[in-house]
Amino acid sequence: MNILEIQDLTKKFDDFIAVDDMSLAIAEGEIFGFLGSNGAGKSTTINMITGLLRKNKGSIMILGKETSKDSEFVKRHIGLIPQEIAIYEDLTAYENVKFFAGLYGLRGGELHDRTVEALEFVGLTEKQKSYPKTFSGGMKRRLNIACAIAHQPKLIIMDEPTVGIDPQSRKYILQSVHKLNEMGCTIIYTSHYMEEVEEICSRIAIIDHGKIIAEGTKEQLKSLITDSKLIFIEVKSQEAIDVDTIYKIQGVTDVKVDENTVQIHTELGVNNLNQIIDYFIRNQLEIRSLDEKEPNLETVFLTLTGRNLRDS
Amino acid sequence: MGDILWLMRKTLRTTFRKKGNILLYLVTPLVGIFIALLANGDQGSELTLGVVNHDNKQISMETISFLKGLDNIRVKEIQEEDVKEHVISGKVDSVITFEQGYSESVLTGEPDSLDLTSIKGESVTGFVKSYLYQYIDNLTALSKAAEGELDTFSSLYHDYKQTDFQLNTTALEDSSTSKSMTLSALGFLIMIMMISAANLSEIILAEKANRTYFRLLSTPISARKYIFSNVLVNMMVMLVQVVITLAFLSYVFHIDLNISLWKALLVMAIFSLISVGVSLVIVAFSNSRGAANALTNLIIMPTVMLSGCFWPVEVMPESVQKISEFLPQRWTLDTLTKLQEGSSFGSLYLNILILFAFAAAFFLIAIYKFSRNNSTKSFI
Repeated sequence: MNILEIQDLTKKFDDFIAVDDMSLAIAEGEIFGFLGSNGAGKSTTINMITGLLRKNKGSIMILGKETSKDSEFVKRHIGLIPQEIAIYEDLTAYENVKFFAGLYGLRGGELHDRTVEALEFVGLTEKQKSYPKTFSGGMKRRLNIACAIAHQPKLIIMDEPTVGIDPQSRKYILQSVHKLNEMGCTIIYTSHYMEEVEEICSRIAIIDHGKIIAEGTKEQLKSLITDSKLIFIEVKSQEAIDVDTIYKIQGVTDVKVDENTVQIHTELGVNNLNQIIDYFIRNQLEIRSLDEKEPNLETVFLTLTGRNLRDS
Repeated sequence: MGDILWLMRKTLRTTFRKKGNILLYLVTPLVGIFIALLANGDQGSELTLGVVNHDNKQISMETISFLKGLDNIRVKEIQEEDVKEHVISGKVDSVITFEQGYSESVLTGEPDSLDLTSIKGESVTGFVKSYLYQYIDNLTALSKAAEGELDTFSSLYHDYKQTDFQLNTTALEDSSTSKSMTLSALGFLIMIMMISAANLSEIILAEKANRTYFRLLSTPISARKYIFSNVLVNMMVMLVQVVITLAFLSYVFHIDLNISLWKALLVMAIFSLISVGVSLVIVAFSNSRGAANALTNLIIMPTVMLSGCFWPVEVMPESVQKISEFLPQRWTLDTLTKLQEGSSFGSLYLNILILFAFAAAFFLIAIYKFSRNNSTKSFI
């Protein structure tokens, strides 16, 4: 059964189309990765799913209910972990979790128990009486998570939950994602860290200019570009590069020049590396580095969007 | 309603956990009372009169007993050497010294040998003199009729005291001071209420800045409920400020409001609605807490001064008085003044309507501005 179904979703800000006729379905129990550069429409989509933004067109169904019509019901089953840490500095860790859980209608003993459980889940039991101002970045991120899970939502949306934290806290959070998933939660996970998405997500959608340009498991996405590989050549100066000449080399399907780096897409199985290097030597283009990449999520993203995720 | 109460509880807890806020919201309103007391001074209606009697004869004794019988005067017999200290320290407002020979001078028809000492001037001595001179004039008339004979004078004086007509006197209470003090204290309270309302509404901006506002909106709480809870907290704090101020004025400082407590409370409650409206307009037009603070200072202080919260509006030029008629604070003070002057609530329906109209206008402007938003980066 699908926990989330998006159909023809569109959002415009004046003339700018942030989300363009997007359709998507996420099944219960999935860890779904959302990949996209800044401004691709990822956050706008999440904001519409969580009811922070009104859509212009289309429908968003969560647990079979239209979000705009049954907003309160839908919101009770969602837990949002925002990219920015959104906690109260003047409430203790316990009070923070208790306050947010209370907004979902929990009261009394149940509220206390769920609060304690959530703090225990993120490993902040011993710090429950402390104020967040005394916390490290990683601890604040964990409290940010606890505030979103105490009401035991069915769908958890994690928007860049590991930004700016130490490796230990990142590991802890990634383990938590797996644990939450094992406990039956469906997770939508967005991240700039390709390796995280590759590690934890069972299915991934790549979003660009408000559209989903590719969707599937890691293997399915990689298979989209199995017939090509990417060669990165960093040169001292790109001024003398003639893209058309490189195109004429056998097997080359695409050439992009970005500052001093030349990205060459070439057919897999065609041995043309010598010819490519020969072009640079003949034209006295000093090569500083050369990198040949086999298909992975990053090359998939690069191939499909033409941009590096972290640079965008 | 449960979730609104939950939000209110959190706002009240985080607000009053800071001691500075307790001082700002609950203690500062009382400063207005102290300012009013300082400005109007201690203008109690009872005078304390010191008496030094070097004469110690019948007529001086009778004069002292006359003074003791006067309303609003407390007579304290003191010694000559204590006069200076008592007057300077304010233990007495004035001292009358009956010199030796006072009785004889009255009996001979030429009253003399009487000294009046005070550092408070005519405001104190005028009252005493007006009574005392008339009384001594009567005594002189009697002594003239007795032709200086003490026995005849005593007999005439006895008859004079036994006269069968009786004059009932009723002292009119001077309410101008208490009225002015009440208005000063409430004028200051108006300013504090507006500042408090702006501060409490700015919580919306602070929560937007720390992103908790958007997290709240991802829960079953709607933006409308969130704003409503803020308005309720705001109203609650302001009503407490009004109750504290009125209670201290009436029961601690015993200042006569010249209006019933509930009427004053009602007018100030309507004003609290206006304050919340103004604060929401400020928040709706501000992008940050800093901008809201600047706007608050720009709006509140000048309008409070122009509307006569710190001094009577009558002392300002006519053109400024006309401007003040467009300010809600002016209409609030005007309603209170008219109630002090004895107008009934019913007769002030126009004032009340105008106050409600101000509140409605501010709320509508704020709602309009809030509803124009379509971005999570700005308001609802």
